[in-house]
Amino acid sequence: MFHPLVIFSYFVIVLFVTMFTSHPVFLLCSLAGGVAFCGVLSARRQFLSDIGFYIVVFILLSLANPLFSHNGETILFFINDNPVTKEALIYGEFIAVMIIAVIFWCKCLNEVMSTDKTLYLFGRVVPKLSLLLTMALRFIPLFKRQAEKINKSQKTMGFYAADNLPDKVGGAMRIFDSLIGWSIENSLETADSMKARGYGLPERTTFSIFTFRLDDAFMLGLMAIYLLIFIAGKSAGFLSFHFYPTLGRVGITELSAAFYAFMALFMFFPTLIEIKEQIKWKYLESKI
Amino acid sequence: MEILRIENLSFSYPLRDTAALSDVSFQVKEGEFILLCGESGCGKTTLLKLIKRELAPQGEKSGAIYYRGVRQDDLDERTSACKIGFVMQNPENQIVTEKVWHELAFGLENMGLQTEKIRRRVGEMASFFGIQNWFRKKTDELSGGQKQILNLAAVMAMQPEILILDEPTSQLDPIAASDFIATISKLNQDMGLTILMTEHRLEEVFPLADRVLVMKKGKVLLFDEPRLVGNKLKNADNGISQGLPSAIRIYQGLNDNMPCPLTVKEGRELLADNYDNRVRRLHRGKKAPADAETAIELRGVWFRYLKESPDIIEDTSLTVKKGELVCLLGGNGSGKTTLLNIIAGANRPYKGRVKIFGKNIRKYKGRELYVNGLTLLPQNPQTVFIKETVRDDYLELSKVLGGDLNALQRRIDQIAELLSISDLLDVHPYDLSGGEQQKAAIGKILLSEPRIILLDEPTKGIDAGYKEQLCSLLKDLQKRGITIMLVSHDIEFCARVADRCGMFFDHTIISFGEPEEFFCNNNFYTTVANRISRAMFDNAITTEDVIELCRENGRRSE
Repeated sequence: MFHPLVIFSYFVIVLFVTMFTSHPVFLLCSLAGGVAFCGVLSARRQFLSDIGFYIVVFILLSLANPLFSHNGETILFFINDNPVTKEALIYGEFIAVMIIAVIFWCKCLNEVMSTDKTLYLFGRVVPKLSLLLTMALRFIPLFKRQAEKINKSQKTMGFYAADNLPDKVGGAMRIFDSLIGWSIENSLETADSMKARGYGLPERTTFSIFTFRLDDAFMLGLMAIYLLIFIAGKSAGFLSFHFYPTLGRVGITELSAAFYAFMALFMFFPTLIEIKEQIKWKYLESKI
Repeated sequence: MEILRIENLSFSYPLRDTAALSDVSFQVKEGEFILLCGESGCGKTTLLKLIKRELAPQGEKSGAIYYRGVRQDDLDERTSACKIGFVMQNPENQIVTEKVWHELAFGLENMGLQTEKIRRRVGEMASFFGIQNWFRKKTDELSGGQKQILNLAAVMAMQPEILILDEPTSQLDPIAASDFIATISKLNQDMGLTILMTEHRLEEVFPLADRVLVMKKGKVLLFDEPRLVGNKLKNADNGISQGLPSAIRIYQGLNDNMPCPLTVKEGRELLADNYDNRVRRLHRGKKAPADAETAIELRGVWFRYLKESPDIIEDTSLTVKKGELVCLLGGNGSGKTTLLNIIAGANRPYKGRVKIFGKNIRKYKGRELYVNGLTLLPQNPQTVFIKETVRDDYLELSKVLGGDLNALQRRIDQIAELLSISDLLDVHPYDLSGGEQQKAAIGKILLSEPRIILLDEPTKGIDAGYKEQLCSLLKDLQKRGITIMLVSHDIEFCARVADRCGMFFDHTIISFGEPEEFFCNNNFYTTVANRISRAMFDNAITTEDVIELCRENGRRSE
């Protein structure tokens, strides 16, 4: 709906601020926004299974930190004479929140920014890089499908009908191994097809079906304002938080509450727009 | 006017002793439809790639290629890229972008055209090729046939003057393949486009071609009109003539002096005008009644993938005796593969019973069913291999099969000999041709000494020569007491190998019987030889049958 430039800038800003902030409230806003947008975009079944998967990832990630880091003053218990601290545990949890938030935003980015949009954005600036990106993006679904095919065919041949976990892990490794060979083989052919159609001729143009509208300019302005507020909030200390040696506190004043609310609103912006469109469409449909 | 001229072209790949092409010379006139044929590995693909400069393989080359009188080396980049279009074999790998419209525009962007011009050309192409309805779709949501049409349209958008196609339909099902060939013919007839193509499916393409170039071991054997080629190839060895259309093969087999027919219609006329039909039936030795034990038994099987999805298999029953070779025919997406997976134990029906050797399939534990039991060869032989060489891949099975490594090695050698793939054992599986891959894959499944082999589309992407080898291989395995069941949409192949044939339609098996009965009762879904001889004889299915009956009857006395 929006111009690729707008979409891309939005994601760049969100990913950037998420990765360089370790403030709990902010990270939770980002995670919630990312998950919500992903939920609106993807099919329910897929979404639920993703959620399940990432809960497991969350637990693993958040457990990793306290096992290796023993900073912090509040000791919960000992493992092999090593202290496990509350601070390390909570720090681990928020690191996990950040990583998963980034993953979900990337999933959304992948869904919203199709290759044509990516190519359109980068085609003029860095033709080589944009090519690399396109090929990579188109390749992901192919790779996945081939993995399924190989897996299935190995199973139905019956040699690797496995009952136990080590067998299954071994099987997965073998499939990955052969996938690498397969992908090299196939990308050679794609490269040929590109060359055959004149890729690399001088003066390449970029064809697109996108137009820059007034809405897009408005959105860009909005994002600029957001960035300004973000920077202002950061310098006002709303985004600083320490985990070690003891957990810091989230100071809630009127100003900081307004700031956090604005940050949350920004993170939920695409979800709101998407839902609004869907409702509008339902409404129009019901009139027909 | 001449558009392409090849002069004394020779080519050899690095590190190979034999030349891929030697002394190839021919000319192509503007607007001609040229068909290139020959056995696998005769240099067809090499020749085509050399003509398209961007795709020319590395190696030692001599001789010259002229495009409109200009030497290939002197062509400017733009002409070479745009005026010579190239469509490859695999529909999937040629697609570069994510969206259909973008794929159509890709070449035009490379040419540096402006947006307005691109929009118009893309629109034109989409309308001509009937792409409007899926114009905004993602490319990986398309069917194989659609993908290949898209590849063709994307090349045609650049307005080439000569179109080169390298076995474009080998990965498509018969209906999509017919559509594709019809489109090619339309481009040739309506647009006057020059076409140079190789193809396995000669039955349809042969009559369309203006001239046929037959290659053998890197040399040009013949270059002439289809009818004359049909005539001249009479005494050629099997490898080449096996792939020819049935009408021509019947004509060659009869070896009388008549004009060579190309199509079913002409074949029918040839038989009706020249031969008697006093003897209408061919007497075949009746097969011994099958009282062998049952190998596969399905009783009222129902299957669906998800609870809320429709049934894929409905109330299907089937019995296969030990040592039988059974073929199931059916269109795309009719559920054939699903049925095979049910028999292989990979899909579990929600209703009905599956018995393998009289024992319920659910009672087989772990690998019991698969070791020295049943095995399925999947459709794409590439997915069978995981290691760097075929031998490594075979050896890896020792982990699964257990037992002595030396014994396995001996067995590998035995099987390699049986399949005559001994010299392929140390090659990377992806470097093998389609037919060789198929054989190597069969070799792999034979290692577990199966008693039942299930095959999914074994003839996909394989040329006529290899089909013949596969046919005798399957019969050989059958003689060793192995039960074989295959699903396919290759009617001709099934007619040759099967003891019994079935047709799969609308989620179940609708007819089942011996090939003779099966094909003679079908009017449309039957072999070409049967369609040619239908009016004259009652039970001829293969070209050999027709030839034999004609011989028996003798020529019509005027």
